Amino acid sequence: MHIPDGYLDPAWVAATYAAVIGYFGVMAKKFRPVVTPEAAVLAAGIFVAQMLNWPLPGGTSLHLVGGALAAAILGPWSGSVVMGLVVTIQCLLFHDGGITALGANLLNMAVIDVLVGYAVFKTIRSRVGGVRGLFLGGLLGGWTGIVAAGVACGIEIGLSPQWPFGVAVTVPIMGGWHAILGIVEGIITGSVLAYLGAKAPEVIKG
Amino acid sequence: MRYGKALITVIILAVISPVFGVILADAVGYHEPLDVAAETLGLKEKDIEWGSPLPDYTVPGLDPVTGYIVSGIIGAAVVFGIAYLLSKVSKKE
Repeated sequence: MHIPDGYLDPAWVAATYAAVIGYFGVMAKKFRPVVTPEAAVLAAGIFVAQMLNWPLPGGTSLHLVGGALAAAILGPWSGSVVMGLVVTIQCLLFHDGGITALGANLLNMAVIDVLVGYAVFKTIRSRVGGVRGLFLGGLLGGWTGIVAAGVACGIEIGLSPQWPFGVAVTVPIMGGWHAILGIVEGIITGSVLAYLGAKAPEVIKG
Repeated sequence: MRYGKALITVIILAVISPVFGVILADAVGYHEPLDVAAETLGLKEKDIEWGSPLPDYTVPGLDPVTGYIVSGIIGAAVVFGIAYLLSKVSKKE
């Protein structure tokens, strides 16, 4: 899901950078960067988990993104900070995701994945209690967050004056593939949350 | 330390990561949906060099597998370090 340089129209580069700077600016002013030592451990864990690419037969691969997981454990704003840190370090240190696409990659993985995943997690959690609610919330939150981020990614690379009908191609591809890959994201998110809920429920603050 | 167990898990994940990130990825031909979408549009990657010290999780002079492990540990340490500093700052304010 990391967009490299060259895929985005200049207008999208500007718009996504502006949106992300706006989001982090306003939120930081309101809530400060609320980061705990737990969040630091989780950030390191998500960074490494993203390096575990699972190749799939048929020539594709997937890895955990982790936005819904971070939001469910830390709450949406801290989740965004953690994901933002991971995505930024991936770009600056490892050339994973383009520098002109950093705004879009942050928007997809540190904002959309986190907020959508969190909203779904919270909705399920308020209806289903206990460890079961954590698993279900994580499963559906993880899945929805990834699909939303994938669709956003498809819109960003597909909607540009240079290729007028690009979205009609990219959105179904990104949405469709992530609807499948998102199952794994959901299962991992739900399982980690259920495990934490059983072993150390006080860790889950989202 | 309270989070010792979690940090050990991170290190173990980093050590096994090349199995997935390098060896199996090469075997199947690493390809993600974004590449498929870009191909259908005929989008081309434009490599802009901004001096990332460890491009694509490689370490100059090290073989890809060792480089991937070292990259993982360095990346996790940097991410952890910055977040930990942020947590100290947030506490002080």
